Amino acid sequence: MNLAHLHLLLNHFPTVGLAIALGLLLASLLKKSEDLQQASFVGFFLLGLVAIPAYLTGSAAQVVLQDQPDVSRQVMAAHQDAALLALILLELTGFAAWIALWRFRRWHPIGILVLAVVTFGLMASAANIGGHIRHPEILAAGTAAPAPGWPRTAAAGAAFVVDNPWVWPIAEVFHFVGLCLLFGVVLLVNLRLLGFIKGVAFADVNRLLPWAMVGLGINIVTGMLFFLASPEQYTQNYAFVWKIALILVAGATLLYPTMCVQAGEGSPDDRAPLLGKVIAAGSICLWIGVIFLGRFLPYLGSE
Amino acid sequence: MLRSPAGVEDRLVVPEEMDSILAQLEQSGLATWIRESGVLYGYPLILFLHTLGLSTLAGLSTAIDLRLLGIGRAIPLKSLEKTFVLMWTGLALTAATGSLLFISDAQKHASNPAFFLKLFFVLLAVTALALTWTRVFRGPHSGKIVATLSLVCWFGALSAGRLMAYVAEFVL
Repeated sequence: MNLAHLHLLLNHFPTVGLAIALGLLLASLLKKSEDLQQASFVGFFLLGLVAIPAYLTGSAAQVVLQDQPDVSRQVMAAHQDAALLALILLELTGFAAWIALWRFRRWHPIGILVLAVVTFGLMASAANIGGHIRHPEILAAGTAAPAPGWPRTAAAGAAFVVDNPWVWPIAEVFHFVGLCLLFGVVLLVNLRLLGFIKGVAFADVNRLLPWAMVGLGINIVTGMLFFLASPEQYTQNYAFVWKIALILVAGATLLYPTMCVQAGEGSPDDRAPLLGKVIAAGSICLWIGVIFLGRFLPYLGSE
Repeated sequence: MLRSPAGVEDRLVVPEEMDSILAQLEQSGLATWIRESGVLYGYPLILFLHTLGLSTLAGLSTAIDLRLLGIGRAIPLKSLEKTFVLMWTGLALTAATGSLLFISDAQKHASNPAFFLKLFFVLLAVTALALTWTRVFRGPHSGKIVATLSLVCWFGALSAGRLMAYVAEFVL
């Protein structure tokens, strides 16, 4: 299986997943069920993670397909532009959903509902254009595949990095800043779960968690800038593929400390259950793995 | 992007004696191995450990600074005391691997102003961390000033460190 194949698998998750998570959110509002609402927020957060490799593998598929005579480059470019817009919106929805999980019961879901509806619309358009890349059977006979006039988001992002020589170094600096924020807070929170740090309630350490998310956000933005400017450098590199895979799992482990206690609960002497300790240890190892693969990227992956 | 640690032609003028010490360091067996062996457990591993030590040190230090500046103020400082062991370990790892990286390309680094800027910021940041221990954890101060200083210095150290390669390439 190559990355183009993986794209065909992953690209269904954002659209179908958004429909499911949106359905859960609507049902939770009708039934006034907090459990359903939390489930939908978890869904949005996880979709925000999965959408990243869905986009990245799309660039790999584009490289594979761009020289095929029966594939329109215009349609692919339109698909990519729509997908990048939808990705940005989904990341915003995912972060908003994470904040809602973190501050549960003190956050009105209407903002997330609006964001998610807009995201779903964009994602469905992106998927629809994508469907035209390889499926002539869905077109009326004799018509060409449409190449809608989307704003050229992907090309604009690439041009921003390539045309301004200061962007890459500055983004590298902030990629490291984001890493330190994320790793420092993740270490603290997980060391508390593991019992290495004692004498503080889980909920109180969790007040720092948004700063880990700020770090993650900085690194997604700066990482996407690197990728947009030089996609082949990354899609051809298996260390990068593994790095993204680890980020998915490591990102998901952030849900445990976010959700294991609600604000105001717990005492400084609480101990985490075994499952919590396993997840905490796994989380630290996974983030170290992410740093390892990032550092080894130039040496390991390109043959 | 892959950047070879190998030399840059034009250097600032370094006093002759100093230059010969740097050259000797650079030509030592260890430095040559780090620079030229090309094995993954050589230069790349040292670079990774340098990053890991620094992320642990600067990351935990940043988290503590945030606490001192009022985020998560319900966290008792006493509960954070054990993180100092990890931060000093991170510092030792960063310093040891940093020395190895330095000798592997001593003359180039010694002529790079960004390298000295980085050392300057690291020294200040580590001083701020030591002050956080003696004056805030073991003393009466709230630590807001020292925490701000620490955040600024870590940002400066990270920036100068990351930009070293660019300074070497475009400025020198």
